[in-house]
Amino acid sequence: MSARPRVDGPPQHSGNAIRDSALGRVPETLEEIIALNGAVWRRSLVPPALLEVIRLRNARTVNCVYCKSVRYREAREDGLTEARAALVGEDYANSELTRREKLAIGLADAYLGFPAGMSRELALALAAEFSPEQVASMFVALMTFNFTSRTAVSIGGMPEEPLPVTLISVEATAG
Amino acid sequence: MIASPTSVDLDRALAPAGSAAASFARLWQSLWVAPYLAAPLLELCRLTLARLHRDPAEMAAQNPHLESGTVGAVQREAVLAGTAHRSAAFSADERAVLEFAESYGLDPQTIPDATAEAVRAALGDAGLVFLIEALGCLDGRMRAARCLRDFHGVTGLGGSA
Repeated sequence: MSARPRVDGPPQHSGNAIRDSALGRVPETLEEIIALNGAVWRRSLVPPALLEVIRLRNARTVNCVYCKSVRYREAREDGLTEARAALVGEDYANSELTRREKLAIGLADAYLGFPAGMSRELALALAAEFSPEQVASMFVALMTFNFTSRTAVSIGGMPEEPLPVTLISVEATAG
Repeated sequence: MIASPTSVDLDRALAPAGSAAASFARLWQSLWVAPYLAAPLLELCRLTLARLHRDPAEMAAQNPHLESGTVGAVQREAVLAGTAHRSAAFSADERAVLEFAESYGLDPQTIPDATAEAVRAALGDAGLVFLIEALGCLDGRMRAARCLRDFHGVTGLGGSA
Protein backbone atom coordinates (compact mmCIF):
# COMPACT_ATOMS: atom_id res chain seq x y z
CA MET A 1 0.00 0.00 0.00
CA SER A 2 1.35 3.43 -0.94
CA ALA A 3 2.57 5.19 2.22
CA ARG A 4 1.93 8.63 0.75
CA PRO A 5 -1.28 9.79 -0.94
CA ARG A 6 -0.97 9.45 -4.69
CA VAL A 7 -3.24 12.48 -5.08
CA ASP A 8 -3.99 15.13 -2.48
CA GLY A 9 -7.41 16.66 -1.90
CA PRO A 10 -8.25 20.11 -3.23
CA PRO A 11 -6.68 23.09 -1.40
CA GLN A 12 -10.04 24.46 -0.22
CA HIS A 13 -11.61 22.73 2.81
CA SER A 14 -15.39 22.38 3.04
CA GLY A 15 -15.74 20.18 6.11
CA ASN A 16 -17.18 17.34 4.02
CA ALA A 17 -14.84 14.34 4.20
CA ILE A 18 -15.52 13.26 0.61
CA ARG A 19 -15.33 16.73 -0.92
CA ASP A 20 -12.04 17.41 0.90
CA SER A 21 -10.46 14.12 -0.20
CA ALA A 22 -8.81 13.33 -3.53
CA LEU A 23 -12.32 12.63 -4.85
CA GLY A 24 -12.78 16.39 -4.81
CA ARG A 25 -10.49 16.49 -7.85
CA VAL A 26 -13.17 14.95 -10.07
CA PRO A 27 -16.14 17.34 -10.32
CA GLU A 28 -17.94 15.10 -12.84
CA THR A 29 -18.55 12.43 -10.18
CA LEU A 30 -18.15 14.23 -6.85
CA GLU A 31 -21.70 15.43 -6.24
CA GLU A 32 -23.24 12.05 -7.10
CA ILE A 33 -20.84 10.23 -4.77
CA ILE A 34 -21.83 12.55 -1.93
CA ALA A 35 -25.51 12.13 -2.80
CA LEU A 36 -25.08 8.35 -2.94
CA ASN A 37 -23.55 8.23 0.51
CA GLY A 38 -26.42 10.31 1.86
CA ALA A 39 -29.03 8.14 0.16
CA VAL A 40 -27.50 4.95 1.53
CA TRP A 41 -27.57 6.18 5.13
CA ARG A 42 -30.87 8.05 4.99
CA ARG A 43 -33.03 6.01 2.63
CA SER A 44 -31.87 2.40 2.71
CA LEU A 45 -34.51 -0.24 3.35
CA VAL A 46 -32.64 -1.79 6.29
CA PRO A 47 -31.82 -0.09 9.62
CA PRO A 48 -28.57 1.86 10.23
CA ALA A 49 -27.20 -0.74 12.65
CA LEU A 50 -27.42 -3.39 9.96
CA LEU A 51 -25.76 -1.06 7.44
CA GLU A 52 -22.95 -0.49 9.90
CA VAL A 53 -22.41 -4.24 10.33
CA ILE A 54 -22.06 -4.53 6.56
CA ARG A 55 -19.78 -1.49 6.37
CA LEU A 56 -17.49 -2.78 9.12
CA ARG A 57 -17.26 -6.23 7.55
CA ASN A 58 -16.24 -4.61 4.27
CA ALA A 59 -13.73 -2.32 5.99
CA ARG A 60 -12.13 -5.30 7.69
CA THR A 61 -11.86 -7.32 4.48
CA VAL A 62 -10.55 -4.46 2.34
CA ASN A 63 -8.26 -3.42 5.20
CA CYS A 64 -9.11 0.27 5.00
CA VAL A 65 -7.61 1.73 8.19
CA TYR A 66 -9.84 4.81 8.13
CA CYS A 67 -13.01 2.84 7.46
CA LYS A 68 -12.24 0.42 10.29
CA SER A 69 -11.81 3.24 12.80
CA VAL A 70 -15.00 5.15 11.94
CA ARG A 71 -18.38 4.54 13.58
CA TYR A 72 -21.56 6.17 12.30
CA ARG A 73 -23.56 7.92 14.99
CA GLU A 74 -26.80 6.84 13.29
CA ALA A 75 -25.87 3.18 13.78
CA ARG A 76 -24.79 3.74 17.37
CA GLU A 77 -28.15 5.36 18.10
CA ASP A 78 -29.80 2.36 16.42
CA GLY A 79 -28.18 0.02 18.93
CA LEU A 80 -24.83 -0.97 17.48
CA THR A 81 -22.68 -0.36 20.54
CA GLU A 82 -18.90 -0.63 20.36
CA ALA A 83 -19.12 -4.03 22.03
CA ARG A 84 -21.47 -5.25 19.30
CA ALA A 85 -19.35 -3.69 16.56
CA ALA A 86 -16.41 -5.70 17.87
CA LEU A 87 -18.34 -8.90 17.14
CA VAL A 88 -18.10 -8.28 13.37
CA GLY A 89 -14.92 -10.34 13.28
CA GLU A 90 -13.66 -13.78 12.41
CA ASP A 91 -15.88 -15.66 14.82
CA TYR A 92 -19.06 -13.68 14.14
CA ALA A 93 -21.08 -16.84 13.47
CA ASN A 94 -20.74 -17.90 17.10
CA SER A 95 -21.28 -14.41 18.49
CA GLU A 96 -24.31 -12.73 20.06
CA LEU A 97 -25.11 -10.90 16.85
CA THR A 98 -28.69 -11.39 15.67
CA ARG A 99 -29.62 -13.81 12.89
CA ARG A 100 -30.27 -10.87 10.55
CA GLU A 101 -26.86 -9.36 11.35
CA LYS A 102 -25.14 -12.69 10.72
CA LEU A 103 -26.96 -13.10 7.42
CA ALA A 104 -25.94 -9.57 6.42
CA ILE A 105 -22.32 -10.52 7.11
CA GLY A 106 -22.85 -13.64 5.01
CA LEU A 107 -24.12 -11.45 2.16
CA ALA A 108 -21.07 -9.19 2.54
CA ASP A 109 -18.69 -12.15 2.49
CA ALA A 110 -20.38 -13.54 -0.63
CA TYR A 111 -19.85 -10.21 -2.35
CA LEU A 112 -16.31 -9.74 -1.06
CA GLY A 113 -15.10 -13.19 -2.12
CA PHE A 114 -12.80 -13.52 -5.08
CA PRO A 115 -14.56 -14.42 -7.19
CA ALA A 116 -17.83 -13.32 -5.64
CA GLY A 117 -20.69 -15.76 -5.37
CA MET A 118 -23.55 -16.83 -3.14
CA SER A 119 -24.27 -20.34 -1.90
CA ARG A 120 -27.71 -21.89 -2.21
CA GLU A 121 -27.99 -22.07 1.58
CA LEU A 122 -27.25 -18.39 2.03
CA ALA A 123 -29.63 -17.36 -0.76
CA LEU A 124 -32.48 -19.32 0.80
CA ALA A 125 -31.74 -17.99 4.29
CA LEU A 126 -31.62 -14.40 3.03
CA ALA A 127 -34.89 -14.85 1.15
CA ALA A 128 -36.54 -16.18 4.30
CA GLU A 129 -35.39 -13.25 6.42
CA PHE A 130 -35.36 -10.25 4.05
CA SER A 131 -37.59 -8.96 1.28
CA PRO A 132 -36.11 -8.79 -2.26
CA GLU A 133 -36.14 -5.00 -1.90
CA GLN A 134 -34.07 -5.23 1.29
CA VAL A 135 -31.60 -7.60 -0.35
CA ALA A 136 -31.18 -5.13 -3.22
CA SER A 137 -30.77 -2.31 -0.70
CA MET A 138 -28.01 -4.16 1.15
CA PHE A 139 -26.15 -4.71 -2.12
CA VAL A 140 -26.36 -1.02 -2.99
CA ALA A 141 -25.01 -0.12 0.46
CA LEU A 142 -22.26 -2.70 0.18
CA MET A 143 -21.23 -1.50 -3.28
CA THR A 144 -21.05 2.03 -1.91
CA PHE A 145 -18.97 1.08 1.13
CA ASN A 146 -16.72 -1.14 -0.97
CA PHE A 147 -16.27 1.56 -3.61
CA THR A 148 -15.29 4.08 -0.92
CA SER A 149 -12.87 1.86 0.95
CA ARG A 150 -11.16 0.49 -2.17
CA THR A 151 -10.81 4.05 -3.44
CA ALA A 152 -9.20 5.15 -0.17
CA VAL A 153 -6.77 2.22 -0.26
CA SER A 154 -5.90 2.82 -3.92
CA ILE A 155 -5.22 6.50 -3.38
CA GLY A 156 -2.90 5.55 -0.54
CA GLY A 157 -1.52 7.46 2.44
CA MET A 158 -3.17 5.24 5.03
CA PRO A 159 -1.96 5.87 8.59
CA GLU A 160 -0.52 3.16 10.78
CA GLU A 161 -2.95 1.05 12.80
CA PRO A 162 -4.59 1.25 15.18
CA LEU A 163 -6.47 4.52 14.86
CA PRO A 164 -8.78 5.50 17.71
CA VAL A 165 -12.47 4.85 17.14
CA THR A 166 -14.06 8.01 15.78
CA LEU A 167 -17.78 8.68 15.88
CA ILE A 168 -19.04 10.59 12.84
CA SER A 169 -22.45 11.56 11.56
CA VAL A 170 -23.74 11.08 8.03
CA GLU A 171 -23.54 14.87 7.57
CA ALA A 172 -19.73 14.49 7.49
CA THR A 173 -19.87 12.53 4.24
CA ALA A 174 -23.22 13.47 2.69
CA GLY A 175 -24.77 16.66 1.43
CA MET B 1 -28.87 -16.47 -23.85
CA ILE B 2 -26.54 -14.37 -21.71
CA ALA B 3 -27.06 -14.67 -17.95
CA SER B 4 -28.38 -11.55 -16.26
CA PRO B 5 -27.78 -9.34 -14.41
CA THR B 6 -24.23 -8.38 -15.24
CA SER B 7 -22.41 -5.15 -14.49
CA VAL B 8 -23.86 -3.51 -17.59
CA ASP B 9 -27.55 -4.14 -16.82
CA LEU B 10 -27.50 -4.37 -13.04
CA ASP B 11 -29.57 -1.25 -12.38
CA ARG B 12 -32.88 -2.92 -13.20
CA ALA B 13 -32.20 -5.59 -10.57
CA LEU B 14 -31.23 -2.97 -7.98
CA ALA B 15 -34.07 -0.53 -8.71
CA PRO B 16 -36.33 -1.97 -5.97
CA ALA B 17 -33.82 -0.55 -3.46
CA GLY B 18 -35.10 2.94 -4.31
CA SER B 19 -33.26 6.25 -4.32
CA ALA B 20 -29.83 4.91 -3.35
CA ALA B 21 -29.96 2.53 -6.33
CA ALA B 22 -30.98 5.41 -8.58
CA SER B 23 -28.03 7.42 -7.33
CA PHE B 24 -25.63 4.55 -7.97
CA ALA B 25 -27.07 4.19 -11.48
CA ARG B 26 -26.47 7.90 -12.18
CA LEU B 27 -22.87 7.56 -11.00
CA TRP B 28 -22.43 4.57 -13.33
CA GLN B 29 -23.89 6.48 -16.29
CA SER B 30 -21.57 9.43 -15.65
CA LEU B 31 -18.47 7.26 -15.98
CA TRP B 32 -19.10 6.65 -19.67
CA VAL B 33 -19.21 10.31 -20.63
CA ALA B 34 -16.53 11.76 -18.34
CA PRO B 35 -13.58 13.41 -20.12
CA TYR B 36 -10.71 11.49 -18.50
CA LEU B 37 -10.95 8.08 -20.09
CA ALA B 38 -12.35 7.10 -23.48
CA ALA B 39 -15.31 4.74 -23.20
CA PRO B 40 -13.63 1.96 -25.23
CA LEU B 41 -10.67 1.96 -22.84
CA LEU B 42 -13.03 1.89 -19.87
CA GLU B 43 -14.74 -1.10 -21.46
CA LEU B 44 -11.37 -2.82 -21.75
CA CYS B 45 -10.90 -2.17 -18.03
CA ARG B 46 -14.29 -3.82 -17.45
CA LEU B 47 -13.19 -6.84 -19.47
CA THR B 48 -9.93 -6.99 -17.50
CA LEU B 49 -11.90 -7.25 -14.27
CA ALA B 50 -14.32 -9.74 -15.87
CA ARG B 51 -11.37 -11.99 -16.69
CA LEU B 52 -9.99 -11.70 -13.16
CA HIS B 53 -13.41 -12.57 -11.75
CA ARG B 54 -13.56 -15.55 -14.13
CA ASP B 55 -17.09 -14.55 -15.07
CA PRO B 56 -18.21 -15.75 -18.53
CA ALA B 57 -21.43 -13.71 -18.37
CA GLU B 58 -19.44 -10.52 -17.82
CA MET B 59 -17.05 -11.36 -20.62
CA ALA B 60 -19.97 -11.96 -23.02
CA ALA B 61 -22.08 -8.98 -21.94
CA GLN B 62 -22.79 -6.32 -24.55
CA ASN B 63 -22.18 -2.89 -23.07
CA PRO B 64 -24.99 -0.51 -24.09
CA HIS B 65 -22.69 2.47 -23.52
CA LEU B 66 -20.67 1.50 -26.58
CA GLU B 67 -21.65 1.12 -30.17
CA SER B 68 -20.93 -2.29 -31.61
CA GLY B 69 -17.37 -2.59 -32.89
CA THR B 70 -16.04 0.38 -30.91
CA VAL B 71 -13.62 -1.92 -29.14
CA GLY B 72 -11.43 -3.69 -31.69
CA ALA B 73 -11.49 -7.48 -31.74
CA VAL B 74 -7.71 -7.71 -31.37
CA GLN B 75 -7.69 -5.51 -28.27
CA ARG B 76 -10.67 -7.30 -26.78
CA GLU B 77 -9.11 -10.71 -27.28
CA ALA B 78 -5.77 -9.59 -25.85
CA VAL B 79 -7.45 -8.31 -22.70
CA LEU B 80 -9.53 -11.44 -22.27
CA ALA B 81 -6.44 -13.59 -22.83
CA GLY B 82 -4.42 -11.59 -20.30
CA THR B 83 -1.81 -10.60 -22.88
CA ALA B 84 -2.51 -6.87 -23.18
CA HIS B 85 0.73 -5.97 -21.39
CA ARG B 86 2.78 -7.34 -24.29
CA SER B 87 0.44 -6.59 -27.17
CA ALA B 88 1.40 -4.09 -29.85
CA ALA B 89 -2.30 -3.30 -30.25
CA PHE B 90 -2.12 -0.85 -27.33
CA SER B 91 -0.35 2.44 -26.81
CA ALA B 92 1.89 2.89 -23.77
CA ASP B 93 -0.81 4.97 -22.05
CA GLU B 94 -3.45 2.30 -22.69
CA ARG B 95 -1.14 -0.37 -21.32
CA ALA B 96 -0.56 1.72 -18.19
CA VAL B 97 -4.30 2.00 -17.58
CA LEU B 98 -4.89 -1.71 -18.15
CA GLU B 99 -1.97 -2.65 -15.92
CA PHE B 100 -3.46 -0.47 -13.18
CA ALA B 101 -6.85 -2.14 -13.66
CA GLU B 102 -5.19 -5.54 -13.34
CA SER B 103 -3.46 -4.60 -10.09
CA TYR B 104 -6.63 -3.01 -8.74
CA GLY B 105 -8.61 -6.11 -9.54
CA LEU B 106 -6.16 -8.39 -7.77
CA ASP B 107 -5.80 -6.22 -4.65
CA PRO B 108 -5.80 -2.41 -4.37
CA GLN B 109 -3.30 -2.69 -1.52
CA THR B 110 -0.65 -3.98 -3.89
CA ILE B 111 -0.87 -1.45 -6.73
CA PRO B 112 2.78 -0.62 -7.49
CA ASP B 113 3.75 3.04 -7.22
CA ALA B 114 5.31 2.87 -10.69
CA THR B 115 2.02 1.66 -12.15
CA ALA B 116 0.09 4.49 -10.51
CA GLU B 117 2.71 6.99 -11.62
CA ALA B 118 2.42 5.83 -15.22
CA VAL B 119 -1.34 6.43 -15.11
CA ARG B 120 -0.86 9.82 -13.52
CA ALA B 121 1.58 10.74 -16.29
CA ALA B 122 -0.98 9.68 -18.89
CA LEU B 123 -4.20 11.01 -17.35
CA GLY B 124 -3.18 13.57 -14.74
CA ASP B 125 -4.19 13.68 -11.06
CA ALA B 126 -7.91 13.90 -11.74
CA GLY B 127 -7.67 11.15 -14.34
CA LEU B 128 -5.97 8.82 -11.87
CA VAL B 129 -8.67 9.44 -9.26
CA PHE B 130 -11.36 8.99 -11.91
CA LEU B 131 -9.86 5.65 -12.98
CA ILE B 132 -9.85 4.48 -9.37
CA GLU B 133 -13.49 5.50 -8.98
CA ALA B 134 -14.46 3.82 -12.25
CA LEU B 135 -12.72 0.58 -11.31
CA GLY B 136 -14.50 0.63 -7.94
CA CYS B 137 -17.84 0.95 -9.68
CA LEU B 138 -17.05 -1.75 -12.21
CA ASP B 139 -15.72 -4.19 -9.66
CA GLY B 140 -18.61 -3.62 -7.26
CA ARG B 141 -21.20 -4.03 -9.96
CA MET B 142 -19.62 -7.30 -11.09
CA ARG B 143 -19.63 -8.63 -7.57
CA ALA B 144 -23.23 -7.62 -6.88
CA ALA B 145 -24.42 -8.93 -10.25
CA ARG B 146 -22.81 -12.31 -9.66
CA CYS B 147 -24.36 -12.61 -6.21
CA LEU B 148 -27.77 -11.54 -7.50
CA ARG B 149 -27.61 -14.11 -10.32
CA ASP B 150 -27.04 -16.75 -7.68
CA PHE B 151 -29.76 -15.32 -5.43
CA HIS B 152 -32.32 -15.08 -8.20
CA GLY B 153 -31.39 -18.49 -9.56
CA VAL B 154 -32.03 -20.18 -6.22
CA THR B 155 -35.01 -18.20 -4.98
CA GLY B 156 -36.73 -17.26 -8.23
CA LEU B 157 -37.10 -13.77 -6.80
CA GLY B 158 -36.37 -10.59 -8.71
CA GLY B 159 -34.87 -11.63 -12.03
CA SER B 160 -33.95 -14.28 -14.55
CA ALA B 161 -30.75 -16.29 -14.55
